[in-house]
Amino acid sequence: MHIPDAFIPMGQALVYWVIALIFIALALRWARRSMGEEKIPLVAVLAAGIFAIQALNIPIPWGTSGHMVGAALAAIVLGSPFAGVFVLTLVLLVQGIIFGDGGITVMGANIVNMGVVGGFVGYYGYAAVKGVIGNTYAAAFIAGWASLFISAILCAVELAIAGTFPLSLGLTFMGTYHAVIGLIEGGITAVALYLIASARPDILEHPQAVSA
Amino acid sequence: MIDDLYFIEKHAYAVSIVHRLDARIKLLVALAAIVAVVAVPYSTKVYEVGAVLFALFALLWAASRLPPAVYFRRLVLILPFGIFLVGFQVFVKNPYYDVFHTIATLPFGIEVYAESMQFASILLVKFIVSISFVILLSSTTRMQDMIEAAGRLGLPREFTLTLGMMVRYIFVFADMFGRIRTAMETRCFDPLDRTLPYRYRLHQVGYTVGTIFIRSYEQGERTYTSMLCRGYGENAGLYIRRKPLRAGETVFFVATLAFIVLSTVAIYLQP
Repeated sequence: MHIPDAFIPMGQALVYWVIALIFIALALRWARRSMGEEKIPLVAVLAAGIFAIQALNIPIPWGTSGHMVGAALAAIVLGSPFAGVFVLTLVLLVQGIIFGDGGITVMGANIVNMGVVGGFVGYYGYAAVKGVIGNTYAAAFIAGWASLFISAILCAVELAIAGTFPLSLGLTFMGTYHAVIGLIEGGITAVALYLIASARPDILEHPQAVSA
Repeated sequence: MIDDLYFIEKHAYAVSIVHRLDARIKLLVALAAIVAVVAVPYSTKVYEVGAVLFALFALLWAASRLPPAVYFRRLVLILPFGIFLVGFQVFVKNPYYDVFHTIATLPFGIEVYAESMQFASILLVKFIVSISFVILLSSTTRMQDMIEAAGRLGLPREFTLTLGMMVRYIFVFADMFGRIRTAMETRCFDPLDRTLPYRYRLHQVGYTVGTIFIRSYEQGERTYTSMLCRGYGENAGLYIRRKPLRAGETVFFVATLAFIVLSTVAIYLQP
């Protein structure tokens, strides 16, 4: 889902950069306010951890492998969508500039797709579903799935606006593929949340809500 | 990707005229080249711009004295998603052309269009040139230098500090990731092993992800404590010493930037 350079024209890429920068600025404000100085080292090391988590090959039912994004997990555990935005921005910067995974001009779009959508859909999806059905892990599962699925849909729409991939095919391919990978993202988000709630409940921003 | 961390950083520690160049210059030159090739509208002029910029890249790569094999190995790792998007183009129409001519018809009514072939090749040129400059940048510049350079160019303190720490810990987690993988292998567990029940595999992988998360969080806590012991506070930042550019570096920077901008504009304005 990391869009490479050249697949989004410069003008549109700049628009996504502006949107991304607004959210990055808000995430910085969140980092300064919510926990002050402590958040900075925590988020930095956690970003390195998410980077490692993304390297893990996860099984997809029909045999191929994919990898997690982890924005929803970070947002749920740290209790703010901006945690997802901040962590994913750091990860995407390193992936784009060091590894060449995801372009430079389109990094704004990638940050919006994975960081902003991942963080916001992950966090608010989790909160909303938990409010309705009351089950923490089912909520984490649905939020993880939705965060990835909506990211992929947005990615397909952006490529369609750019004219580099037709909308119907993009939605079918990216949508179906990520609807399935999303199940894994959701499943792993739920299992990982369960482990964190059992092993280190104090890490969770809202520990009282999660009873392991 | 994480396995290539040491591979990339090892080459960034080599010594050459390009490696010695100030990281700010390399960062800006790479950015300028990428922006130039992306900014040229989708047309056949991309071929010329691409050729000129690729020649610049090849020259700099040769000056870095890194073997071409390093470039190709890194290229192969990056290509897949881009190639998928490029390869797909030939079967579909795009909004950049008005008429499409079919040059081949495949089973199931799939058609290959001449214009789409051209569009795919334009995308490919843009894609290859831009990733070539990213490869050049990261193969000749140490990560810490790049962050310091970004700081000197005005990246906010919060970012230089977090990126500096993140880059340091990526290596720690790359090692940890390697150990986790070894531990899985010694227990004959492969997440992709289809003879194992799917639920079981998902649970194991989920626990591994949770464990990495907790371990990175705990590492963050320890790092924070040890930073506090060393006087870290609200206004702390990554220490970046002032580093004026040498005369030669300034000349190189101005010349290269002018070359990129002028050649792109000249080709674009050609009738």
